[in-house]
Amino acid sequence: MIEPLKKIFKRRSFPYLFFKIAVFFILLFLVDFFVGNIFKHFFFKQTSGWEYRTKYSIEDTKADILIFGASRAQQQYNPVYFEERLNETCYNVGRDGEPIFYSYAVLQAILQRYKPKIIIFDVDNAVFMEKQSSYDRIAALLPFYEKHPEMRSVIELRGPFEKLKLQSHIYPYNSLLFKIAMGNTEFNKKRNVDIKGYVPLSNSLNEPIRKVDLSSKYPIDSNKVNCYKSFINDCIKANVKLYLVSSPYFFQSTGSDTSIALAKKIANEKNIEFIDFSKDGFFKSNSKLFDDTVHVNFAGSTIFCNRLIDTLISRDHYKTVKISNDIK
Amino acid sequence: MVFDSLSYFLFFFLVIILNYCTPLQYRWVLLLIASIFFYSYTNPVYLIVPLFISLFTYSAALQIEKANTHTKKQWVFIIAVVINAGLLVFFKYSNFFSNLLFDGLNFLNGRFAHSGELYKNDLLIKIIAPLGISYIIFQAIGYLIDVKNGNQLAEKNIGYFTTYILFFPKLIAGPVEKESLFLPQISKTPVFRYDDISVGLKRVIWGLFKKLVIADRLSIYVNAVYNNFEHHSGATLAIAAFFYTFQLYADFSGYTDMALGFAKMLGFDLMENFNRPFLAKSVTEFWRRFHMSLSSWFNEYFYTPLSIAKRDWGKWGAVYSLFITFIILGFWHGANWTFIIFGILQGCILSIEFFTRSMRKTVRKKIPAFLNTIAGIVFTISYYTFSLIFFRSGSVMDALHYIKRLFSSRGSVFIENPSIMLFSLMGIFFLAIVECKKEYWNELFTLSNNRNWIVRNCYYCFLLLVILIAGVFDGGEFIYFQF
Repeated sequence: MIEPLKKIFKRRSFPYLFFKIAVFFILLFLVDFFVGNIFKHFFFKQTSGWEYRTKYSIEDTKADILIFGASRAQQQYNPVYFEERLNETCYNVGRDGEPIFYSYAVLQAILQRYKPKIIIFDVDNAVFMEKQSSYDRIAALLPFYEKHPEMRSVIELRGPFEKLKLQSHIYPYNSLLFKIAMGNTEFNKKRNVDIKGYVPLSNSLNEPIRKVDLSSKYPIDSNKVNCYKSFINDCIKANVKLYLVSSPYFFQSTGSDTSIALAKKIANEKNIEFIDFSKDGFFKSNSKLFDDTVHVNFAGSTIFCNRLIDTLISRDHYKTVKISNDIK
Repeated sequence: MVFDSLSYFLFFFLVIILNYCTPLQYRWVLLLIASIFFYSYTNPVYLIVPLFISLFTYSAALQIEKANTHTKKQWVFIIAVVINAGLLVFFKYSNFFSNLLFDGLNFLNGRFAHSGELYKNDLLIKIIAPLGISYIIFQAIGYLIDVKNGNQLAEKNIGYFTTYILFFPKLIAGPVEKESLFLPQISKTPVFRYDDISVGLKRVIWGLFKKLVIADRLSIYVNAVYNNFEHHSGATLAIAAFFYTFQLYADFSGYTDMALGFAKMLGFDLMENFNRPFLAKSVTEFWRRFHMSLSSWFNEYFYTPLSIAKRDWGKWGAVYSLFITFIILGFWHGANWTFIIFGILQGCILSIEFFTRSMRKTVRKKIPAFLNTIAGIVFTISYYTFSLIFFRSGSVMDALHYIKRLFSSRGSVFIENPSIMLFSLMGIFFLAIVECKKEYWNELFTLSNNRNWIVRNCYYCFLLLVILIAGVFDGGEFIYFQF
């Protein structure tokens, strides 16, 4: 029995090579499984940091009002004001640098758990612009691929081999080693200012307003447009009141941004209100309210949030919700 | 298709299986089809130019060999070289030269300025240079010179020759392979050799590590700083400049390791391109260790003939040849003044090192050996880093502003994401350890070539693990693909 095997696995023969490669991959698979599960354990145990906020948004929040978007959501909408004035719980699920894919995937996961009352979605200029980095950014959702099948269709947009890559247990936690380590420390909790998902900005811009031409055309990503449409449809289907908001900018724009025009058109077709603060004269005349030309700072956020809340209160829907809550 | 993509790995897996199943007489057919598929993966139109170069050079070499008079041989050779070089100039430099021409006309005649601008804009052609054209043409020209000088017989089999030019592991960014080393390997029986696969695979893993863990990680910081250098402090600019030096090396040597590894698995030995250049004690030594296949091409076909032609000038002939060689080598990288200045800077330091050779030797004797080595390495890396500021910048003005800010702007170091910085420093540290070990303590305990195969497996398993944990999978293409 052993002699024929010895013959087959003669040193430096093809079957010998095959055997050694197989052993190597088994070893790699075991290490990948073991290390990947350690990462998984500590990832979901984090108590602070960006990854924690994403995890909290997807798996824990039960807030009545949710704010979606990228940096202009995360750094401009302070949930405290919404809670104080509207008497509802609020959480900011926005994440800096994340494209609409992220917002849509997070919404999918949230709607599996519960139905928020109101969703505010900050629609940014160039939100539908075609760029590869938007697909790279979906990486933030990789750790949730296994646990959340509802997010898989979005995550798989990253590339044709994403499903294959995700067979690895470590791959979803790629580049997160130090973030996970930090997210599990008390020190990081103190270091990171996080007001229910809102990250205030402290810089104060001191420069005259510039003119920016927004009329130039750029390629539109149909995946992004579809995500936007699906975001609206899912909110309608779940009977969640959706407000699309374009927050203030500190530049004088000429022409209109292609994405914003398209977003408004779609919102109009779906009968969803689009609240536009991007050309609000009050903000244009006060650079001190901005951290940079596209983000208001903490002071600016206070004013912006209150003005937005005023708008929401003035809407019939909100009045109806308020009255029914009061009766209860 | 790029070496670090999954689609390439699937493609290669198929090729390697077929390679060892195909009979000898059809092996070149398989390799040629694979190379054509590899090159035309994104757009088959790109294939036209490399195919033309291969066929044209093949016929020209046969004509040179057949020519019965020296004059005829000379003429065929000149025409073939001019057409090859002309293609390179057309694809890489036509817009640069048309810009230069019209800027010159504008300068000479103010009245002509307006119409000059008009023509210039009309003349700028939207040319997409075929990938790896410089490497393809350099191999073709080198082959023509060798055939003309009688150092190489013209290849009779058109399939063998086209496979030599288009062989996919070296097609895009070299090494610039000599035909005398490559062609005999095509007709060799493709015997399965355990060591070829094992050595090749290990080399690919190491190359992948360099590219994904070191180069692409460093590129995040480098791009963030270089794209907004006017807002960064001198300390940040210095760190970014040093990071770029290591990025370039890890990127290019990582690519070469993969190219050599893939070729080895197919049973081919390609030229080495790097020999731990950052452990060179002088810039002269650095260029003997960095991009060795290109340096030796320039040395054999350009520098040596030129310095022989100028031997009457004595030392100055050598310096003149050195200068011209490095200006052309710099310009080879791209149609931009930044690359020319990069070449001039190399020419300057090499000339200085040439003239001060004996003086430095005397000084070296008075200094302890280790101090001399450290000082030499630090100087070489620093000088090369400085010259790379031009290489990396978009324009000469950008490079000059970068250098000005480097020495004048104070402020804290930019660290947007601490984990990027930590991963970057760890990558450089690991690379330095491996290179130093190979250079100075090669006989000492080794992990990659340990006698115990479990230790070896664990080491390569560790490398793959680090790639999964710290590799950048959304990184860009290899830097040298643009050249």
